[in-house]
Amino acid sequence: MNATPGQEPVKSFLPKWVRGPQDFIGGVALMAIALFALWASSDLQGMRGFSFGAGTAPRMFGFLLLGLGAAVALVGVFTEGAHLAKYHWRGPLFVSLAILSFAFTIRPMGMIFAAMASFVIAACGTPETRWVETLIVGACLTAFCALLFPYALGLPLQLLPTFLIR
Amino acid sequence: MNWYGRSLASGFLAVLAGMGLSSSQAQAQAYPTRSITMIVPFAAGGPTDVIARIVTGHMAQTLGQAIIIENVVGAGGTTATTRASKAANDGYTLITGHMGTHAASVPLYPKLAYHPEKDFEPVGLLAGTPILILARKDLPPKDLKEFITYVKANESKVNAAHAGVGSVSNVSCELLNSVLGVKPIGVPFNGTGPAMNALVAGQVDYMCDQIVNAVPQVNGGTIKAYAVATAERNPSLPDVPTTTEAGLPAFQAQAWNAIFAPKGTPADVVAKLNAAVVKALDDEGVRKRLLDLGSVIPAPADRTPAALGTLVKNEIAKWTPVLKAVN
Amino acid sequence: MGDIFSNLGLGFGVVFQFVQWTPAFLGGASIPIPVNILLCLIGALVGTLVGVLPGIGTIATVAMLLPITFGLPPVGALIMLAGIYYGAQYGGSTTSILVNIPGEAGSVVTALDGFQMAKKGRAGPALAIAAIGSFFAGCVATVLIALLGAPLTKLALAFGPAEYFSLMVLGLIFAVVLAKGSVLKAIAMIVFGLLLSMVGSDIETGASRMAFNIPELADGLGFATVAMGLFGFAEIIRNLDAGGETDRKLVQEKVTGLMPTRKDLKDSAPAILRGTVLGSLLGILPGGGAVIASFAAYTLEKKISKNPSQFGHGVIQGVAAPESANNAAAQTSFIPLLTLGIPPNAVMALMVGAMTIHGIVPGPQVMQKQPELVWGMIASMWVGNLMLLIINLPLVGIWVRLLRVPYRLMFPAIVVFCSIGIYSVNNAPTDVMLAGAFGLVGYWLIKHDFEPAPLLLGMVLGPLMEENLRRALLISRGDWSVFLTRPLSAVLMAIAAGLLVLAVLPSLRKKRDEVFVESEN
Repeated sequence: MNATPGQEPVKSFLPKWVRGPQDFIGGVALMAIALFALWASSDLQGMRGFSFGAGTAPRMFGFLLLGLGAAVALVGVFTEGAHLAKYHWRGPLFVSLAILSFAFTIRPMGMIFAAMASFVIAACGTPETRWVETLIVGACLTAFCALLFPYALGLPLQLLPTFLIR
Repeated sequence: MNWYGRSLASGFLAVLAGMGLSSSQAQAQAYPTRSITMIVPFAAGGPTDVIARIVTGHMAQTLGQAIIIENVVGAGGTTATTRASKAANDGYTLITGHMGTHAASVPLYPKLAYHPEKDFEPVGLLAGTPILILARKDLPPKDLKEFITYVKANESKVNAAHAGVGSVSNVSCELLNSVLGVKPIGVPFNGTGPAMNALVAGQVDYMCDQIVNAVPQVNGGTIKAYAVATAERNPSLPDVPTTTEAGLPAFQAQAWNAIFAPKGTPADVVAKLNAAVVKALDDEGVRKRLLDLGSVIPAPADRTPAALGTLVKNEIAKWTPVLKAVN
Repeated sequence: MGDIFSNLGLGFGVVFQFVQWTPAFLGGASIPIPVNILLCLIGALVGTLVGVLPGIGTIATVAMLLPITFGLPPVGALIMLAGIYYGAQYGGSTTSILVNIPGEAGSVVTALDGFQMAKKGRAGPALAIAAIGSFFAGCVATVLIALLGAPLTKLALAFGPAEYFSLMVLGLIFAVVLAKGSVLKAIAMIVFGLLLSMVGSDIETGASRMAFNIPELADGLGFATVAMGLFGFAEIIRNLDAGGETDRKLVQEKVTGLMPTRKDLKDSAPAILRGTVLGSLLGILPGGGAVIASFAAYTLEKKISKNPSQFGHGVIQGVAAPESANNAAAQTSFIPLLTLGIPPNAVMALMVGAMTIHGIVPGPQVMQKQPELVWGMIASMWVGNLMLLIINLPLVGIWVRLLRVPYRLMFPAIVVFCSIGIYSVNNAPTDVMLAGAFGLVGYWLIKHDFEPAPLLLGMVLGPLMEENLRRALLISRGDWSVFLTRPLSAVLMAIAAGLLVLAVLPSLRKKRDEVFVESEN
């Protein structure tokens, strides 16, 4: 099964004996997550007599995920499977930047700035963006949000930058 | 105009007033010149939220500015309290704290990012909510004296429910257990609702909880109340004796709610806010709604900022040894 | 029976109450206004409109709109709130179908086939069948509450921690059956979800688990945050690298009818019926019953279907069954509140909050003491569902038209709405960043052909499972046999074991067949 249609599989950097690179890498990554969780929960108390400690369940699931990750990776070694799908950088980068910019500006700069900035940054995520259109739609959307959330819904959202209010 | 028409009309007026706020006439008038944010460290609809909304509703009229409630939940209310402690100390950000956030949190959370006394200016006490000792309806003891003997005799068998670590029901039950000198199994639930459900279903034996949650169940006969842990009987459950009457005077507990401002808020602002609290607590409508919840309205002497400061100090001293011993 | 009719009569009397409105400009003439119906209508409409914003789930919508009702008289406020609740739920299903963003656990399942239908140009029928199924389920559940509310309460009380644990185990098995690809990978995803659900403070000791001293993680990862990341943001990122525009054009060209065809109706009728029954029963159970209603219904449909492989690729039963179950459960979850006065879930806890604000503290006597309130609410449930149908069938056309907005404008708008939505739930910027991080995780999962739905369900069920297991063991003093000696629990465990065998067997057989095929070559 291939992940997304219309994509060329990347040339595998893995040795030949890995017959399903997609599953192999996936399984190995799950094992890494499991090990991380086991490390993160290592400071927690274990069983206390008959009752569970804080760390019992996280460690239980951690070991379970470790085993399952290994099983997925082994499936990747022994059965013919999909190649690694190609990753693109543009979409993930600008969508992440848009989200980050919203998170960092919403408190100090208020909603009007945060929403507009985030809209414009996200729009950079695709080469199809037409700028005049994007700016107009972004402004309309920001105005809509500015009326909807604080006024119509009465949410405690600050519209303007803090330095303008004080 | 009838009830509906009036309330709808006043609702519209409120919305209009709200829209006009940004362009409000910035007259050379003292505090407050814009709306005030009241952080409530618990979900909308919870006991603290209800009390905060009742009192701030009246305070907003006195102060002539809207008070916007911002519910911030998390970590037993300490997330919100941390945020409030770091807010600007200009009187435009306040918090409605309670026994947990401003007293029990000190021993419960060793890494607490604020200190209730050092990082806040007390503004005023809003209300107290008495704690009840409750049990499943078919638990053998008939009164508190029998209950004490029963729990002591069956220490390894009884289960005490609570609404999660750090909740009012949890810390007050720890106090009860330490007064009784027992260490029964504590069964944690996620909130008061599920804990009450388990008690009604008879899956657990007893718990301590705020009166507001328990009155209808006690009156309905689905659970029983042994005593109320305050000095006086509560009008919503007149037949339930106080712990002093029933023979356990050492167990006194009440959940309280109070308004705090970040440290360094000007004294005249605190005084103005406190006056608004006092005025609200004297209002007949506010009093009736608080009493309906089973709350105890503080006496005039207990309403000053200084009295609240003393209360916080005493409460921290009261809970620290109890909760330190458990953790 | 007579009682029921007089009670329902009382209820509908309350709902259809007219208030004489005498505005000054009419010079003394008065107009009768059906206030409560209007409130219900406004509630359902506002609930739908807010619930449809991506990023805002049912609980968030109700919490957000709760203060609006504070100025109304108690009965009107609760009727409006009930309207908001149904509206919000339906609005959530709409975003699941249109843009693959489930706002709450129940609509995760709706998104599976609903979004696939939308991709095939059948968003209209999917939305319509969701509305029709919900309406039918709502009608049945309303009657059920009126007839059997009190006796059904016993079921809610019969469920102790041991029974809940077994129910959650059963729920996890449902999550395995949901998967359309590899069973092994689905189980791995469930366990990943369980592991994520461990983040936060421990229920028994209060110890902070895997929270790395980040205050926003102290109470764990929010469902909405993770769902928005894994579904919403990840879907956007994926669309961007697949060339969103071309993908969309394809969708638009394919839009066929807005309303379900006769065949659609015939296919979904039995699914709606089964979903309603399952949902009504599971909804009564406080603390988690309603959560598993929708995927129990989906699993049932997939198991009894003649071509289960079609599920997950846009079959109408895959929308009809979970939507009906979800709505039926939403209704019957009022039973513990109305008969015991105990809120069974977060939304009902908000309802109790609304009641206390109005000076009504619900308890076991609320039915006797405030019959007009209880029966008014029951009647308003039915009216609310009717409103939803009336509001939403015409809206289907508008929603489907939304899909025609060019993707280059649509996706930044979704990013902004999701960000505001997540932020407004807790007013916490960290939540927005977490959702963004989960967007990248979701993108990675897609690239490795892991399904996010089992992960989310694992995350929802994880805490319920762990907490009830620990409670059961505390009460039984460490005796594990309680799960098999308590009859209800034993039955649930047996069903779970049976389903697991059914789920694993076919894939084992398939693997063996594949091996044989290879060796023949």
